[in-house]
Amino acid sequence: MAEIVGAFGTPHMPTAPGEVARGGPSSEVGQIFDAVRQHVDAVDPDVLVIFDTDHFQAFFFDNMPTFCVGAAPRTYGPAEDVWPGLPSYDVRVDEALGRHLHRTGLEQEFDLAVSQEFTIDHSIIVPLHFLSPAMQRPIVPVWINGIAPPFPRAKRCHALGKMVRAAIEAWPGNQRVAILASGVFSNDVGGPHIRDDQTTPPDLEWTRFVQQRIKQGEINDLMNAVTEERLRAAGNVAGELLNWIALLGAVDDRLPRMIELEPGLRRGNAYAAWRWD
Amino acid sequence: MSVYGLNKACHLVQMDAGFRERLQADPAGALADLPLTDEERRAFMEGDVATLYRLGANTFLMWRLQRFRVFGLTADEYIARIRTVLDDS
Repeated sequence: MAEIVGAFGTPHMPTAPGEVARGGPSSEVGQIFDAVRQHVDAVDPDVLVIFDTDHFQAFFFDNMPTFCVGAAPRTYGPAEDVWPGLPSYDVRVDEALGRHLHRTGLEQEFDLAVSQEFTIDHSIIVPLHFLSPAMQRPIVPVWINGIAPPFPRAKRCHALGKMVRAAIEAWPGNQRVAILASGVFSNDVGGPHIRDDQTTPPDLEWTRFVQQRIKQGEINDLMNAVTEERLRAAGNVAGELLNWIALLGAVDDRLPRMIELEPGLRRGNAYAAWRWD
Repeated sequence: MSVYGLNKACHLVQMDAGFRERLQADPAGALADLPLTDEERRAFMEGDVATLYRLGANTFLMWRLQRFRVFGLTADEYIARIRTVLDDS
């Protein structure tokens, strides 16, 4: 059967590839992404199942799924989500695994949507750029709506992660699968507290709280604190934490090998790795 | 008021190159087919993001207006205008 070999969490700032390219080896953001990439390379997964927040690219309010699995032969991005310095990539999708996750989800009474044709925005392109730059690993996106309230509950996202793990472990074959959670703990885009440099001061109290709960495996305490009100206070994309909650459902009792906040603390970003070895 | 219409206009700015081009050539015409009130149309035409914010537009989507420089908005202008909502009591 397929096995999970690792799990990783990173942010996905669309400006990061350009920033790191300009900064060179001394770039702190480049170094911390690299630390996560070294864990990815150490476990060498064949495929990446990615818990992600679509940023109104695959979906919009006309048709907004709560949970959706991507099962297409291939995808590309960032498509219309153009940012200076952000490269475009064609990315393979493990369509068969995607269909398996969708079917298993329905059998386990998760009312999942499926998309058989989609593009991927910076929230998948940026982690892949840093963690799997050769783009040799196919992906399976699992989108969780954490951007257009109302959101699914944290406990439901956690259960989704557990279901995905069981589905992977029931998948025939020898595939080595890694889980990726893409997103911030705190950020606000385009809101009234925006600074001149176009970033918004993160909610550091929340960022540190989340980091400590994950570091110590205090996941029930974390989930109890994840209310829509608390997420909104942490910024309009703080719902991306739900992707991490799903990852935590998949890793179960395992504690992270690393979970570090971004140096400088100008952004509410965390970088983490779990290993099964 | 149509929050859906506000968000759809911001969404189309990124997703629909033809819509973007029409916005440059004929902004009123480009907005004509969207479910917007007169106040909402005026706010868009003037790049009045503070009013759009108060009307309920999604800020993540609104931020795209300056990325694509529609309604004459630069990043600096967007930032200056959106900050004025902090003065609301």
